[in-house]
Amino acid sequence: MTKIITTIAVAVAATVGLAACGSSSSSSSTTSSSSAPASTSTSAAKTTGGTLNGAGSTFAAPIYQQWGSNLKSQGLTINYNPVGSGTGVADLQTATVDFAGSDPALLPADKKAMKGPVLQFPVAFGAITVSYNLPGVKTGLKLDGPTIGGIFSGQIKTWNDPAIKALNPGMNLPSTSITVVHRSDSSGTTNGFTTYLTKVDPAWKLGASKLIKWPGGTGASGNSGVAAAVKATAGAVGYVEQAYALVNGFTYAAVKNGSSYVLPTIANTSLAATGVAVPADLGISTIDSKTAGAYPIVSQTFIDTYEDPCKDGGASSGTAAALKSFLSYAFGAGQATLGSGGSKLPYAPLTAPLAAKDNAQLAKLTCNGSPIS
Amino acid sequence: MEASATTAGGGRSGLERSPLSRLPDQVLQGVLSALAALILILIAYFFIRLIGKSSSAFSHFGLSFVFGNDWDPAHEIYTGLPLLVGTLVTSAIALIIGVPIAVATALFLTELCPRRARGPLAFLVDLLAAVPSVVYGLWGVFVLAPKLQGFEKWVANTFSIIPWIGGGADQITAAGNYFIAGLILAIMILPIVSAISREVLRTVPPEHKEAALALGATRWEMIRMSIIPYARPGITGGAMLGMGRAIGETIAVVLVIGDADNLGHHIFSQGYTLAAVIANEFGEGSNDPPHASALFAAGLVLFILTLIVNIIARRFVTRGQRGQRGAGGGGDAVVLATEEGSIQ
Amino acid sequence: MSIQALPEISARRRNTDRVMRALMWVATGIALVPLVLVIYYLIHKGIGTWNSNFFTTDPNGNFFGNHGGIRSAILGSLEIIGIASAIAIPVGICVALFLTEYGKDSLFANVVRYFVDVMTGVPSIVFGLFIYIVLVISHVGGSGFAAWKGALAVTLLMLPIVIRASEVVLLLVPNSLREAALALGAPRWRVITKVVLPTSASGLVTGSLLAVARGMGETAPLLFTVSVATTLTGNPNSLMNTLPVQIYNDIKSPEPSIVARAWGAALTLVTIVLILNLIARAISRRSRLA
Repeated sequence: MTKIITTIAVAVAATVGLAACGSSSSSSSTTSSSSAPASTSTSAAKTTGGTLNGAGSTFAAPIYQQWGSNLKSQGLTINYNPVGSGTGVADLQTATVDFAGSDPALLPADKKAMKGPVLQFPVAFGAITVSYNLPGVKTGLKLDGPTIGGIFSGQIKTWNDPAIKALNPGMNLPSTSITVVHRSDSSGTTNGFTTYLTKVDPAWKLGASKLIKWPGGTGASGNSGVAAAVKATAGAVGYVEQAYALVNGFTYAAVKNGSSYVLPTIANTSLAATGVAVPADLGISTIDSKTAGAYPIVSQTFIDTYEDPCKDGGASSGTAAALKSFLSYAFGAGQATLGSGGSKLPYAPLTAPLAAKDNAQLAKLTCNGSPIS
Repeated sequence: MEASATTAGGGRSGLERSPLSRLPDQVLQGVLSALAALILILIAYFFIRLIGKSSSAFSHFGLSFVFGNDWDPAHEIYTGLPLLVGTLVTSAIALIIGVPIAVATALFLTELCPRRARGPLAFLVDLLAAVPSVVYGLWGVFVLAPKLQGFEKWVANTFSIIPWIGGGADQITAAGNYFIAGLILAIMILPIVSAISREVLRTVPPEHKEAALALGATRWEMIRMSIIPYARPGITGGAMLGMGRAIGETIAVVLVIGDADNLGHHIFSQGYTLAAVIANEFGEGSNDPPHASALFAAGLVLFILTLIVNIIARRFVTRGQRGQRGAGGGGDAVVLATEEGSIQ
Repeated sequence: MSIQALPEISARRRNTDRVMRALMWVATGIALVPLVLVIYYLIHKGIGTWNSNFFTTDPNGNFFGNHGGIRSAILGSLEIIGIASAIAIPVGICVALFLTEYGKDSLFANVVRYFVDVMTGVPSIVFGLFIYIVLVISHVGGSGFAAWKGALAVTLLMLPIVIRASEVVLLLVPNSLREAALALGAPRWRVITKVVLPTSASGLVTGSLLAVARGMGETAPLLFTVSVATTLTGNPNSLMNTLPVQIYNDIKSPEPSIVARAWGAALTLVTIVLILNLIARAISRRSRLA
């Protein structure tokens, strides 16, 4: 027994020693902040002026992680946990995070469960590609809304189905059977994709939600799971986020919008953001954009935060100030990190009018009623 | 090793001890009992919170939560027969494949293996336990599932007359199914069952083994007659730990079972398990109370399932143990008497 | 080794013996096949990322270029597992001792046994959710997500394994040893510390190592309790980075070199568990009595 205790004691001591040595050189050990004013909410969240904790959308995770890296030199640390939009919103409702990343706009039910009024800020856009693995068909496949709906609901079973052939005259389509790959986990991407299908395919009966009861096909976990499954199965088709498709060189279809077939390039994704209707709470939706030349399956992503993080979210005034500077970076210099080409993250940035609206809404951010500097 | 013969405070023989020297015993018993009680309270509290969170799902669906064949979150229908069946099927496959191999490996390592190779080989088998479940899942997705497609198709076509194992060849994809999930689980429980079996086999008294050999038994007969009966309770204990792992394993299964909400009709169909559904859907369920309640209810069903299977297995164990204790040979009566006497 | 008076071993018995022994060789081979394949796959995918930077820098969130290493994940994991083991292993062994030495067949002991059995089957994610509901949402201790809460979730995961495995091993200590010590006048507690525990030491170490290996590799209990952090911190009351969570998040990234980092981290995790295994076995071997 003593030997076991000794081993454990040695291990714990070594670990604590290592961690102590290591953390003495880092600047971000978080301690409980005592400057949080007394409030009706629970005790202060674990952040000082230098650290922000966020959680939510996996789609937008690379963006917030990159911004975290860029902002570190300014003394701001961002911890972002990509657990999915639903959990991110739930975390904000329990005030365990300072901001949530959510792909879909907040529903009234979501807002009601919050501890106080919430602000949502659109941040970026990304296309949802229809990626496929069809030997012999590398480019040029065209699909439209009803056909995609038919494929994913299992009505269209083979690649040389007349419906697909009609859209792609002159293309040599094999008789391989179609293997549909869908997300099995709760996903904002599924939500966006099925929202599009409900709008454009009158025969789509499966509804629109983060979780769908698919009639057949294969479920895979995460975008990477869908990507791997599509890559490994000849005749497979799945819906995959643009960042994935672009960085890994997938083959994807051009989707019909209006009278033309549009490829999911960054430029075409940005077009979906122009001319989008903007409600008062900035809860936009870029799915099925009617702008000419826009890719029709584009998802937006938001940063959600409390209008008064100090009162409702238990944040200190330092954290609220950090939040404000993070957000103004997000709608300002941060946007320059998004786009196509070279070292930019493969997402479509905000349009100028949207960024302006975001900045205007940012002025609403207060700490216990008083505006933040 | 020796038992220290302390004659504490005064008595010549240890059978008469002063009250003072009983104190450490009582303290120890008190502390250990308190810890056990603490654990019990903790688990009970856990159970109660779980029941509390899942009550609304059960009040809504009643027993059909378990026996209804439709899990459809988008339409708020939460009846989990496909999940329950998936859990049972994959765990059964894991146990059927994993336990015999694990026990055979343990037997090999303790009885047949050349002495020099024993350490390294045992170490290698234990290494299987070091691999995190997410790695097993990914390996299953990227390596095992694609590679076994051919084998699965062959089995499905060759044995197509057997109702559940055969047939369904058209559903075989590279994305996983009950069989692959069961196989991965078998690999994951192997080190647990094997390690504990090894410990158990190591303590078989040499006299038992030598007696069998002296009577002219072959090596295998000696194993069968004197080792296995002695070790059966302990090995079953190890198998139960492995089974617990198989029933509750989340991430590896999520990646390789295909996550289909429907009840699969063949061993090579996609399916779902109770644990996997919690992992996949908790993101959505966090801020949707009926859904969250359904997921907690799935956790509760897992609880109850584990309890039932463990009760059955425990019966198996204690029957063997009682026999074993008796075989300790007469000394039991002495122990009991001493214990009654000195500890009350 | 047959005596004159005993009959010759029949061919049937001899063949059965050969076949069964061959099967045992084969079974061990089969058991080792997935191990070799998985380890090879891990090394193949992960070794390319191993360099001094990998272990001395923290992940920095860059999408392109230098993504940083996994230092904060390694140290965070060690710290959390250290805390969890410090609680789970002693408590687990004590409860197992209670069950075998004092509780035996009493109703109380049996209830504890059944409850512990049930706990072995609970998915790790449910432990994480339990701690989330009880400790995280209610901001116990002044923080939402915190490393010590994650350590508690891992403790819950490890406890049943330690208890169950230890009980199996403690039951195997022959009663004759206990009786001999008692007959010589040793008080109960001495019998436990001088006879029972040393005899079963190697088995107890095995059980504890199984639990530690399990605890180090589980993601779900940490996702909802510790969240994620990039920078290095030793503060148990804050967010902390851990290897399983780092792997889980990196593997989902679209950028292939970040995925490669996930594999390097997985290889690191297996190596750490290996080293812990070796250390613990070396210590227990020295203390094992003949």
